[in-house]
Amino acid sequence: MSAELHRTVRVADVMGMVISVHVLTHAPTVAGVDDATADAFAELRDIDRVFSTYRSDSDVSRLRRGELTLAAADPRVAEVARACEEAEAVTRGLFSARFGGAFDPTGYVKGWAVESVARGHLGALLENADVAAWAINAGGDMQVATAAGLDRDWRVGIADPARPGQLAAVVELRDGAVATSGTAERGAHILDPRTGRAALGATSSTVVADSLAVADVWATVGVVAGIDDLGWIRECPGRSGMVIGAGGRTRRWVSGVEVAAAAGDPFRVSA
Amino acid sequence: MKKIVWAILVTVSGVVLLFSYRTSLGAGTTVASSTTGFSGSIGGSTGSGTSSSTTSGSAAAATPSASATASASTGSSSSSSSSGTSTSTGLKNGTFTGSAASTRFGDVQVAITVSGGKITNVAVPQYPNNNGRDVEIANYSLPQLISETLSAQSANIDMVSGATYTSEGYLQSLQSAIDQAK
Repeated sequence: MSAELHRTVRVADVMGMVISVHVLTHAPTVAGVDDATADAFAELRDIDRVFSTYRSDSDVSRLRRGELTLAAADPRVAEVARACEEAEAVTRGLFSARFGGAFDPTGYVKGWAVESVARGHLGALLENADVAAWAINAGGDMQVATAAGLDRDWRVGIADPARPGQLAAVVELRDGAVATSGTAERGAHILDPRTGRAALGATSSTVVADSLAVADVWATVGVVAGIDDLGWIRECPGRSGMVIGAGGRTRRWVSGVEVAAAAGDPFRVSA
Repeated sequence: MKKIVWAILVTVSGVVLLFSYRTSLGAGTTVASSTTGFSGSIGGSTGSGTSSSTTSGSAAAATPSASATASASTGSSSSSSSSGTSTSTGLKNGTFTGSAASTRFGDVQVAITVSGGKITNVAVPQYPNNNGRDVEIANYSLPQLISETLSAQSANIDMVSGATYTSEGYLQSLQSAIDQAK
């Protein structure tokens, strides 16, 4: 077992949400942790400056108004645009960054940004033997990592969309990402690209994957598809997931196949 | 400790990968479905025999392996930890079989074995070819099932995943409480 671990928590308000970084260390203070966290926050602010549709002077806003070409924009915009196209293809249109004709990568940027910033700035922390694990949670979507050999998992609670402040489920992981999309916190803000209407078929969809960019896209897909349609999990490269629908109805899947719930299902622990 | 070689994703592609690697699993492909304690809508065969089918041709794997590589994300490590923490996750020990899902390659079914609150094995008792062969994939990284939990079991939770909260919403959030408490 690992001896007592020290936890450094840093919180910042970026991109309209609160981002929490937790770093677990074997020593009370470890050089480099604060700098890495600060650098991560700084890069997220820079990404927001480029991508925010709430800022009229962002590259994406200028691109949408036709004042900027993709070639002239920050190179990360083209990178994201390509990734959005790929996401649209692999999800068969259940995810789209260009509904209504205008390029709006907002639904992709968050997961991608947090993952790339985490890998770029927090990833190297584990090269320091005093660092045991790190996690970054951006408004409910997270990427985590753990030093090899450390006997410890990150315990991630999945918020219950029907009961604020309470959990519907728990998942443990050493390395990887967890993303949850849904209507609970901000109402029906996810549009179904197929119809242009709000997606109401699920209140919450969670995906566990290696990559937060991937988990985030597919969690959104789960809401768009709705709880009655799990066909997408076959294409989803995620490790596991859960969809919650009206009345708390829950479906879970592992590796592309639903784990069925039935009467007397030992998985089901009634609340 | 390097039990994780392949990122497991038994999406269709993952299943296909399995086929491709059957040979490397060796002859003793054990059967994982002892099927305890799970009743209900289970389609297909949950063979509990010891059908140690020796490898047959990889013809089935040949065609779809393109799609396997296409969607297989590169394998970083995964969640299978062998620590013996006990079952606070609400998972009971046993082997549970999911209902069969039809994929474009045929019906696929998984069985998972839970021990000490963790998934210790994922098996695919039914997969295309319909030969009733079983494949054990315990050597690959195991996907972690999201287990349901009793009410507000916020103790020992590090992080909360939920539909995006705004900066204002954060103040009331469980994550905020955790950030302050830890």
